[in-house]
Amino acid sequence: MKCISLRTALLCASVTLTSACVTSTVDEMVFNEPLEGIGDSSVVILGRRHASDYDTEPDFIRCVGKHIASRDKTITVIGELEFINELYPWFEPRTAPLRPTDIGRLLQQKPVAEKMLALKTEYMIWIDGSTIRSDSAGSMTCAIGPGGGGCFGFGTWSDDSNYEATIWDFTDRAEVGRVNTSATGQSYMPAVVIPIPIIAPVQGTACDGIGDQLLEFLSSEY
Amino acid sequence: MLLSTTSASSCHSIRLLAVLSLLGMVVGCGPTRVVVDGNFPPPLIEPLPLTMGLWFDEDFSTHEFFDQSKSKSESSWVVQTGTAQVEMWDTLLAGIFENVTHMKGEPGPKQMNQIVDGVLIPHVEELQYAIPAHTNVKVYEIWMRYRFKLVTTGGETIAEWTMSSYGKTPTAFLQSDKEAVNLAAVMALRDAGANFATSFTKVPAVQEWLQQRGLASGEVTP
Repeated sequence: MKCISLRTALLCASVTLTSACVTSTVDEMVFNEPLEGIGDSSVVILGRRHASDYDTEPDFIRCVGKHIASRDKTITVIGELEFINELYPWFEPRTAPLRPTDIGRLLQQKPVAEKMLALKTEYMIWIDGSTIRSDSAGSMTCAIGPGGGGCFGFGTWSDDSNYEATIWDFTDRAEVGRVNTSATGQSYMPAVVIPIPIIAPVQGTACDGIGDQLLEFLSSEY
Repeated sequence: MLLSTTSASSCHSIRLLAVLSLLGMVVGCGPTRVVVDGNFPPPLIEPLPLTMGLWFDEDFSTHEFFDQSKSKSESSWVVQTGTAQVEMWDTLLAGIFENVTHMKGEPGPKQMNQIVDGVLIPHVEELQYAIPAHTNVKVYEIWMRYRFKLVTTGGETIAEWTMSSYGKTPTAFLQSDKEAVNLAAVMALRDAGANFATSFTKVPAVQEWLQQRGLASGEVTP
């Protein structure tokens, strides 16, 4: 029994030790919030991919979708790839609507209007942003020989996430809110024989931050 | 006797290891080869009431791009897009036109072929790629320029135009250069499909040809 407690304590200590700190800020601006939630309608979360030097990561979009769907099981979140494949070629970077008013023109296409009706999409959430790594410093040397191997050194880097979610009401063809989240954190990797990564979960924190705010908008339970 | 067998066996193993190492080194020196592979969804479009013939010449259906390395530290690249090109254009054009058929031979005055409204001949004129090692930007990019010819079964040119497409994908954890270049190429092919679907009826010579056939132009524009 004592052994199990000691193991648990060691595990907790190692988990605490191997996560570095993250600072996160969330700004929210919403109007026309649905009071009863979104009912049996569905929501789609899409990444903006128009910038030349970055792409909103598909992993981040999946993370936000999972965050919302796991916290409120009544909300149907359509997967990004599934949605853009179903509506190909209308949501590719070249053709995706940039303003809510563009939805009207899109719905003039009969097959698109029928598909949208079938998917029951009430809200479309566009997420724009990325996580960038900067301020990398330190060095590490690893060697391997007949008797074994090991590393020695120290590395550190900083991650910065900045994402903005824009919520479109599909029925009213209007923007009904914006949520902005930024997170920053420093990760470390000391190595004495074995490298020990102490990672700051910057993108995960940004995902939770934006997911919680979107839940407050979409869910009747939050 | 046993000793001699062991000695012969270990000698054989050393030889095998040496051959494998040499082979590994030779293979390691070869170009990085990417055979583009992806899923291409059918377009959600009201098809044009036309029977379109397709002619993919050998250059197109076996299209590959070779880039010789500029220094010893870089690798040469071979990007084979032919199979993916055929798959994507077959799927796309089958959705854009009511009937699509592959021609038996290249359209020309003496060539016996099926009866169609027109024959579309795509050609990849140029392909360029960029990886983070080239640009210091954390995205992989593929850019392509196509030349299309719309001809009669007799080979007379109805319209000829160029079209570009672009695909990019961000760097991702545990993603190799090959996987990223493949993903960027798939994005470029999808973009080519989106560009064609929204611009085909806007090509002036195609507009004129559609009007002659009693079809209003702009049927597939958003």
